[in-house]
Amino acid sequence: MLWTRHFELACLEGVPTREIQGELHTAIGQEAISAAMVGSLRKEDAMCSTHRNHMHAIAIGVDLRSMLAEIFERKTGICGGFGGHMHIFDSSVKFSATGIVGAGVPVALGHAYAAKLKENGAVAIAVVGDGAVNTGAFHEAMNMAGAMSLPLIVLVENNEWAISVPFSASSATETISERAPSWGAQGVRVNGLDVEAVAEAFSIATDRARAGQGPSIVEAMCYRFRGHFEGDADMYRSKDEKEERRAQDPIEITKNTLISRGLASEDVLNSMAHSVKDSMAQMLSSVRSDPTPESADAKRFVFVESH
Amino acid sequence: MARNLNLSQCISESLHLEMERDHSVLVIGEDVGMQGGVFGATRGLQKKFGATRVIDTPISESAITGMGVGLAIEGYRPVLEIMFVDFIGVCLDQVYNAIAKNHYMSGGRVRMPIVIKTAGGCIGSGAQHSQCLWGLFAHLPGLKVVAPSNPYDAKGLMASAVESDDPVVYIEHKGLLLKRAEDFSFGSDVPEGRYTIPLGKGNIVHPGSNLTIATLSGTVSLCVNVARALAEKGISIEVIDLRSVVPLDIDLVRDSVAKTNRLLVVDEDYLSFGLSAEIITRVIESGINPKAIRRHAVPDVPIPGALTLEREILPSESSITDVVMEMMEAK
Repeated sequence: MLWTRHFELACLEGVPTREIQGELHTAIGQEAISAAMVGSLRKEDAMCSTHRNHMHAIAIGVDLRSMLAEIFERKTGICGGFGGHMHIFDSSVKFSATGIVGAGVPVALGHAYAAKLKENGAVAIAVVGDGAVNTGAFHEAMNMAGAMSLPLIVLVENNEWAISVPFSASSATETISERAPSWGAQGVRVNGLDVEAVAEAFSIATDRARAGQGPSIVEAMCYRFRGHFEGDADMYRSKDEKEERRAQDPIEITKNTLISRGLASEDVLNSMAHSVKDSMAQMLSSVRSDPTPESADAKRFVFVESH
Repeated sequence: MARNLNLSQCISESLHLEMERDHSVLVIGEDVGMQGGVFGATRGLQKKFGATRVIDTPISESAITGMGVGLAIEGYRPVLEIMFVDFIGVCLDQVYNAIAKNHYMSGGRVRMPIVIKTAGGCIGSGAQHSQCLWGLFAHLPGLKVVAPSNPYDAKGLMASAVESDDPVVYIEHKGLLLKRAEDFSFGSDVPEGRYTIPLGKGNIVHPGSNLTIATLSGTVSLCVNVARALAEKGISIEVIDLRSVVPLDIDLVRDSVAKTNRLLVVDEDYLSFGLSAEIITRVIESGINPKAIRRHAVPDVPIPGALTLEREILPSESSITDVVMEMMEAK
């Protein structure tokens, strides 16, 4: 959680300096959800993420430095600078992201089908936001996963806002999880600020999928602390709401839990945070000295044979 | 001698051979399994290779195409059937945002060896079941676009499409799929074994010296018939079957026009912003300035329902002949 938080904070530094063009989407405030996946993931599992993908990538094991370099538009980036922050690909850990809302779910369906063909016990995870659940692609993929009993887990980060439209105004159902039975899936809604609650729900879903029992929806309630993108005036959410919800910081909550259970002291946790922050600062400084992509390469990679 | 089969069987035969030699090849789509495809182009595949490799799906084109993306990342070669090319509208997102772009966006690290097999062409089925749309796919960077005109090419181009590490949109012509091989005046001999035809290589199906016609798919046979008929009147037409729109064999067209000095593009797709303008522009950009240039394509209207209306807007042997005769008047 410290790594994902400080990774996003490092990214924020590239916006005012115009090292990062386009719109940067950070997931600050949603750290507990990505962290909760780590314990249940296996090497052969696949993950398809969204425009807000950095934390998911870190959870499945995408190299932080290569990803930071991609976001900072460097030649050393994980896609050589051809992708950008919304389009992170790392085949070595079967991770991909898409900037099209909802489009990752059918791709995850393909990974889930591959797991069936390979009989390797793998699962496919599609991480989406609450906006994606109202797309046709989401429905099509869920239905097919249910019909074929495929190992697909859709982890919904329900931060209650699809840009400016609240979830309550865009869903026919009160929760997303309650839709699950219509696709023969299991659905559960959990507190996305509670890393243990999410981890438990996610673990049940992966166990179920690995046992051939079909798809699940895990709906994790959360709140994005910042605007939809860096530069979003964010006038659609009231000041009071934002202040109240930002006070519920999953990192602070987790820290207090660890302290109250005697699992770690405040000093140790603070020193961990400092150490992660320093490491990210060093990584960012190092990435900043990396070269940008060569302009002559802009026409490469359209086709395999055009390399 | 032509074997007793139709064009759709040639495609199915090609898919049989590809699935046999490469276990990563999968066929996914609506009615492709039990039924063997609505035109029979996947017949026998499910029986031979099983329902896990030849998958009958729900009517869920976004899921089919998205699934192809995930499977390609996993190392498979999915052949995705979109029954009619008109249906691409419901899943174009996966096609042009993922299948076409993932290789580029990943800096060459992710490959998308996917075939989107689909049926186009006007057969009197109206505006939502009669389009060609190869110009649409060709406009989007990252897709190869193939449209065969005869049984021999249909089989060889499918093998090349499946073998390609790039995504290929393979557009069949509905008017040709059920036509018997022996009824084609070219490309009717189809070997039983596997062979490939390189993507991006056009074919001179009728040599000539007075005028070049560049075309593909269903209109190739019309142009060949026109060329044969006009040869008797002393007009020598070279008919080029482009075979693919991307890559486009512009060298073959240019070399022909350098010789004939007249260029006509016959296209069953829409006129504006399409294949015909692209070919003519590229020829002119290459430094050739033919004395006669014409486009003959579907005027910018949807395909009408009634056959009498459809005939009015489609290139036909008589309309092609008219255009050729007008062009021959240019001195």
